Amino acid sequence: GGARGGGAGECWSCGAGGAFLSCGACGSVQPVDPAVDYFRIFGLEREYNIKDNNLEGKYKDWQKKLHPDLVHSKSEKERAFAAEQSALVIDAYRTLSKPLSRALYLLQLEGIHIDEEKTITDPELLMEMMEMREAVSEANDPQTLEKIQSQIKRKFETWSNSFQEAFDKRDFDRAVKATQRMRYYERAVEETVKKL
Amino acid sequence: MTEQVYTVASDSETTGEEKSQLSFPDVAIGIDIGTSNCSVAVWTGHQVELLKNTRNQKGMRSYVMFKDDTLSAGVTGGATREHGHEERDILSGSAIFNMKRLIGRMDTDEVVQASKNLPFLVQTLGIGVRPFIAALVNNMWRSTTPEEVLAIFLLELKALVEMHLKHPVRNAVLTIPVAFSRFQQTRIERACAMAGLNVLRLMPEPTAIALLYAQQQQQLLHDNMGSGIEKIALIFNMGAGYCDAAVTATAGGVSQIRALSGSTIGGEDILQNVMHYLLPDFDSRYAGQTMDRIKSIGLLRMATQDAIHKLATHDHAEISVDLRGDYKVSKILGRGEFEKVNQSIFEKCEGIIKQCLADAKLAPEDINDVILVGGCSRIPKIRSVVLGLCKKDDSYGGVDPLEAAVSGAALEGAIASGVTDPSGSLDLLTIQATPMNLGIRADGGNFATIIPTNTAVPARRDMLFTTTRDNQTEALIAVYEGQGKQAEDNHLLGYFKITGIPAAAKGTVEINVCMDIDAANVLRVFAGVVKPQGQAVPPFIEVRMPTLDDGHGWCGQALAKMYGSTLDLASLPKKLHP
Repeated sequence: GGARGGGAGECWSCGAGGAFLSCGACGSVQPVDPAVDYFRIFGLEREYNIKDNNLEGKYKDWQKKLHPDLVHSKSEKERAFAAEQSALVIDAYRTLSKPLSRALYLLQLEGIHIDEEKTITDPELLMEMMEMREAVSEANDPQTLEKIQSQIKRKFETWSNSFQEAFDKRDFDRAVKATQRMRYYERAVEETVKKL
Repeated sequence: MTEQVYTVASDSETTGEEKSQLSFPDVAIGIDIGTSNCSVAVWTGHQVELLKNTRNQKGMRSYVMFKDDTLSAGVTGGATREHGHEERDILSGSAIFNMKRLIGRMDTDEVVQASKNLPFLVQTLGIGVRPFIAALVNNMWRSTTPEEVLAIFLLELKALVEMHLKHPVRNAVLTIPVAFSRFQQTRIERACAMAGLNVLRLMPEPTAIALLYAQQQQQLLHDNMGSGIEKIALIFNMGAGYCDAAVTATAGGVSQIRALSGSTIGGEDILQNVMHYLLPDFDSRYAGQTMDRIKSIGLLRMATQDAIHKLATHDHAEISVDLRGDYKVSKILGRGEFEKVNQSIFEKCEGIIKQCLADAKLAPEDINDVILVGGCSRIPKIRSVVLGLCKKDDSYGGVDPLEAAVSGAALEGAIASGVTDPSGSLDLLTIQATPMNLGIRADGGNFATIIPTNTAVPARRDMLFTTTRDNQTEALIAVYEGQGKQAEDNHLLGYFKITGIPAAAKGTVEINVCMDIDAANVLRVFAGVVKPQGQAVPPFIEVRMPTLDDGHGWCGQALAKMYGSTLDLASLPKKLHP
């Protein structure tokens, strides 16, 4: 125990060692350890490009051990642990399953917080936003919208790659800039989905 | 009815000690209270079984008959007396039905307005108070409430179950529509308490069906017929009163509800549309219920209902009904005509499914199974709309459209009561999602969402707010639930004030509002000053919602008028939450 990302400890109920979220020996749900990071919950390295396509499976495995519905016959104390652990695993899954939230979380772990409604000053981006809004509002058939959508998704990919590059080099200014672009393209995709 | 036991579940939370004493006879029963029909199911130790009434029905008409001094509900259907109730008795003015459409609604609600041409008395003032409802007893209108009617029905239902199981029952899991507000949920809990039932869970109907589906997928896996990989199902449920959709992702007995959407539309609206089509002056003709008008409404309802049923399997249906007073409706209604008359309803169904797919971020190709349930799933146009949107040729055949919801409720009842099954058939879990946005009024009448729709439960989210005036020492926290952009377009759940805010320039104080939904779906709101910190700020306030009882139509307007500008809050730009 005690590794980076929060360690496994001694089970409060049976005393067995190595209890992480729930005890491997007696199955008791453990209290939330604020030092546990989301990557650790899924047994992943703390990196942007997670090499796992079974996040949902692992998430569900945890819920089968932690969800408050399944510990209703236990003590009130353990049910409270279950509610907190279950909510934590939900947040962890939600955060890691999407690229943008994963990127923001990585920055947060580095102590970098970003204000949401920061005004965009980059004239190039402003122009691009205007053009894209216009294109979306003028598109009247699903084919055109789908085409715009896949264009935006490609741009999202490009910036997602540049986030990874910057983050790996610990160039956080560029990484932050990349997340702002990603957020903007994500919203743009949502706009097209609404119209489709 | 004089010996009612009032056990108010919400006022005394069960402690851990009490719950751990659950033994087999305390297994919660599953109840599906439908607008039109009701059913009840129990876990028998190895499977779910639907119970039948003395008339050998599993689906029992939802109504309560008020006659002389005796009350009887659709569970027994008056079978204890010499003659059972016929449909024309139920439509005679002496019976109250459609409780599920009326419960917990104010008289400004259009659903209540549309209920005014039911053959019993629904009187409205249109000011945001509860409607006046009455049944005809010995030529007099006798007042009642939807909660009371439902409680009487549930008492009969409870007696039926106890007769079958030969022991008292106390706990129940009930299914509710996705569109039910938290306020409506408290009304269902109130009716249950009046009937001596403790509500263990209120489950959105499609999520009960999702649970049954998850069990069947697990079963297939055990029988080596399933692949074990995640399966995605779209569930569409439409009964007489409500329409719901859900997307569920199931693997290993765990179902995650990815999205929920729903609306108050159903077979009742289809029936009303056809009646208005057959008799364009229906509303003016039948305004102000006299005895002969009630009889005529009843006759027309029956004839129309029969025709709609016939159109499910035929191209035409003949309607011929003598409405007295030299009025006669005589018409052959074609299926195309029927579909045109109800076009807006089918469009709404489309909207609900599209919303659900978009929220789940899925394309039709991602769906493995389309599950069609509820009485209206028999209507060919409904089937073609749902299957068409999901690009499927046929629906999932593993469930009975009228029994799936109650079966899922009984399964949840067994699981939530701590029953385990050696064969692993109860080794199931449903991770629920919130059906509506939850938030507070802020920024001058806007709705600031704190927990958005389709957030997995249990959930806890918070948001920062600030004062809108210099030296503002009080702020009103008005909690709403719904999908509207303006606070007033949503359901008001409750309100409280934060007082003793340190006097400072506007926009400098930070107030945190946190919302928490636990696994039992209980909502708590926490609020307090987080900046500045220290001894000079008031303690945080914790409030369990909803706090409102009746008349919240009034209340929201009064709050906005009295305090809207003086005690308003402004939302602060969020620190970016991952």
